[in-house]
Amino acid sequence: MLKIIIPTIMLIPLTWLSKSNMMWINSTIYSLMISMVCLPLMNQPCDNSLNLSMLFFSDSLSTPLLMLTTWLLPLMIIASQYHMTKEPLARKKLYITMMILLQIFLIMTFSATELIMFYILFEATLVPTLIIITRWGGQTERLNAGIYFLFYTLAGSLPLLVALTYTQTTLGSLNMLLTQYLTERLTHVWGDSLLWLAFMLAFMVKMPLYGLHLWLPKAHVEAPIAGSMVLAAILLKLGGYGMLRITMMLNPTVNFMAYPFMMLSMWGMVMTSSICLRQTDLKSLIAYSSVSHMALVIMAILIQSPWSFMGATALMIAHGLTSSLLFCLANSNYERTHSRTMILVRGLQMILPLMAAWWLLASLTNLALPPSINLIGELFVTVSMFSWSNFSIILLGINITITALYTLYMLIMTQRGKYTYHIHNIKPSYTRENTLMLLHLTPLLLLMINPKIILGTMY
Amino acid sequence: MFRGALWLLAGRGCVGRGLSTRSGGSTPDWTEKVSEIKKKIQSALPGGAWDPLYDTSHLPPEHSDVVIVGGGVLGLSVAYWLKRLEKPRGAIRVLVVDRDHTYSRASTGLSVGGIRQQFSLPENIQLSLFSVDFLRNINEYLAVVDDPPLDVQFNPSGYLLLASEKGAAIMENNVKVQRPDMAALPSVITMVSQEQESATDRSPSLTRDIRQEGAKVCLMSPEQLQNKFPWINTDGVALASYGLEGEGWFDPWCLLQGLRRKIQSLGVFFCQGEVTRFSTSSSRMQTSGGKEMTLKRIHEVHVKMDHSLEYQPVECALVINAAGAWSGQVAELAGIGKGPPGTLEGTKLPVEPRKRYVYFWHCPEGPGLETPFMADTSGAYFRREGLGHNYLGGCSPTEVRSAWAGYYDYNTFDQNGVVGPHPLVVNMYFATGFSGHGLQQAPAVGRAVAEMVLKGQFQTIDLSSLLFSRFYLGEKVEERNII
Repeated sequence: MLKIIIPTIMLIPLTWLSKSNMMWINSTIYSLMISMVCLPLMNQPCDNSLNLSMLFFSDSLSTPLLMLTTWLLPLMIIASQYHMTKEPLARKKLYITMMILLQIFLIMTFSATELIMFYILFEATLVPTLIIITRWGGQTERLNAGIYFLFYTLAGSLPLLVALTYTQTTLGSLNMLLTQYLTERLTHVWGDSLLWLAFMLAFMVKMPLYGLHLWLPKAHVEAPIAGSMVLAAILLKLGGYGMLRITMMLNPTVNFMAYPFMMLSMWGMVMTSSICLRQTDLKSLIAYSSVSHMALVIMAILIQSPWSFMGATALMIAHGLTSSLLFCLANSNYERTHSRTMILVRGLQMILPLMAAWWLLASLTNLALPPSINLIGELFVTVSMFSWSNFSIILLGINITITALYTLYMLIMTQRGKYTYHIHNIKPSYTRENTLMLLHLTPLLLLMINPKIILGTMY
Repeated sequence: MFRGALWLLAGRGCVGRGLSTRSGGSTPDWTEKVSEIKKKIQSALPGGAWDPLYDTSHLPPEHSDVVIVGGGVLGLSVAYWLKRLEKPRGAIRVLVVDRDHTYSRASTGLSVGGIRQQFSLPENIQLSLFSVDFLRNINEYLAVVDDPPLDVQFNPSGYLLLASEKGAAIMENNVKVQRPDMAALPSVITMVSQEQESATDRSPSLTRDIRQEGAKVCLMSPEQLQNKFPWINTDGVALASYGLEGEGWFDPWCLLQGLRRKIQSLGVFFCQGEVTRFSTSSSRMQTSGGKEMTLKRIHEVHVKMDHSLEYQPVECALVINAAGAWSGQVAELAGIGKGPPGTLEGTKLPVEPRKRYVYFWHCPEGPGLETPFMADTSGAYFRREGLGHNYLGGCSPTEVRSAWAGYYDYNTFDQNGVVGPHPLVVNMYFATGFSGHGLQQAPAVGRAVAEMVLKGQFQTIDLSSLLFSRFYLGEKVEERNII
């Protein structure tokens, strides 16, 4: 794991010491190379995990997420090039440094063995993200967005700290590899319920769960493009990853605690999808669609069946790539017209046909078209939810329909129809932007061929 | 503090003289030394006043989808219709920027407030027709919850235009010399002079035009005129046209305040400031004929605050130029008209301020309540104001109670409005240049511009003859009789 972490740390001096015209190129290429270095981790020798050291390990759950994280850094750097052109050099370098710092924390989070280390890095990821949102965001609302983001996540994860320290003192170790062998008593006391809640709440806020999701539309919309990408693609998955790890060590007799969150997730999934239909701001639509997809992941993790775990993992990876791609597409619109309102920018298919192709593919994967990995995730989750409770199929079916509805609405509003007069001289797509979309789509489409690698530990 | 301590130490004797007597040299004045030390420290430390949390509530927001430059009746009308026609509610963020919140020099407040359909251009007639409908039902359009209904004081007394037998060209020249703000050319004369006898039954094409569009106008011979309005001196009058319905005058200030109130309830931002700069980006594109043109987009509008150097760059997708008499200057800021003359780049927006005076007098033996808004063969106009024998007019009588002057947003090309986008500065739309009939057409023009912005074409009233490109192509869209 050090072979990934040390180069990522060294990206920081690379940024600061590069010449100004090589800075973006250097950081992009070297971070791409680091993601290539991350690829051999996929070769898991056994069912269990690849234990690299006392501190770091990787198994078939954390490896796809790790790959996603390292793949995303060059994409974030490519996406930020345009809107940073007017900033002074030192500030550009600071921006890239923030992204790299976030990357370091995320890599360590996904490969940590010790739960306290995981927690510390989980909290540490908040700081660079907050700085990116509040310092480089677009509008005055970004201060509000930063506060919501910080305090929701912080408040949610404080009980987690208490629970982790309690477990450390009672158990003696919080090494994830050991806690999976933990045996729990088969009767529960009410303290167990509180412990369950304390463990799960932080990740619920992060996912986000429907009732605690208010920070997400604000943060996603106000963040600059790199911030939106990393938020949508990775930071939400931290919650999912944490939940998947923690459920291994919780008392199975306390599973009744999952019911309120199941209900919130099911209802929230339908609600947020419906809100998407009424959104006028493009980024806001994509942010609410993230909440809707993550609600599926929460439900899958809470019912704790092998199929649902596979579906949750697949959905996390697929959604990460799709959501990040949609944000990049929305950003390419915003950079040209300086407006995120959908009705003012219409009919782009006539003007930018290649970008329309990327929009089409992104929309198709967002609405879980077979055989994309989004479908695999959603299908596994739906099937396992049906077997858990037959009635849930009604809400899940409604959600799938509404997802298709709003995704197509977004596609048709922005691409089809007669174009508005004032966009007929927008700049054509840059190669950089096309590369960005292609780099998002390539893993998404290639994984269709071999989705085994993203199906997680239960495969 | 030093001084006090020294005073105590040195004893009372040294108060008046500091410490001078001890060393016998120059006087080290401690207060001066302290302030010098302070200045040295301040010059060594970086920066001046650093106040990160200063109040910015007077500044406009950093981002707005549409920025409307000019807060007069046209600008507010465009804002209203944008908010009304947007499909999902609350989709577009609109900012209205005006540099004078007292409207002291805006054409709206200083207008005489007449509204008529007696134009010769069909578009003008349709615009006025819709505006009359808007004014009649103003409380259905502009109602705000819990606020009192608007009383726009629409007096539907009609317009009466008089025409003489003399040649139009001579009249035009005279009027231009006397009152450069009026270009009178009632084509009714030339037509009626061909039909010498009665004019009531035969309707010349002018009235036919108006009647086709739905306005109710009747023509009167001098005898009928004398019958209806005995106080008119019909010497030299060959024909008169009288608007029977939907013409008259109203209170422009009430319309402005009604629009303002409604817009604020719909969520439009208002800001007081002056637009000093547009940040644009250009791209060279080729027309289908192979000719290269430079197209521009406006990215940011710099709004400068009053009496200060502070400005706020507002990021925007669209700019609507509704700056009235100063639209030409605003257009120049965007680079319209900067180029070799005769090309599209070099075509300026030909709107400039034209001053015109309005006089207010009292005449107890005056015409009375049935007075229409009258315009004479000489171009003088007047109307009744209120119920106390007071009159407003454009030509000064001998005894005047008061007077004021206002600007027309005068279109020097053809005295008709400019509506719609600019061909080269792609995201600037115009709603200006109406040269004196802007107020009466404001509601309809606002709707037309909003349709153009939101749907890409004019839907209810087709104003494609009033687009900017006519200045370049040289196609004048002139009124044949205009005040």
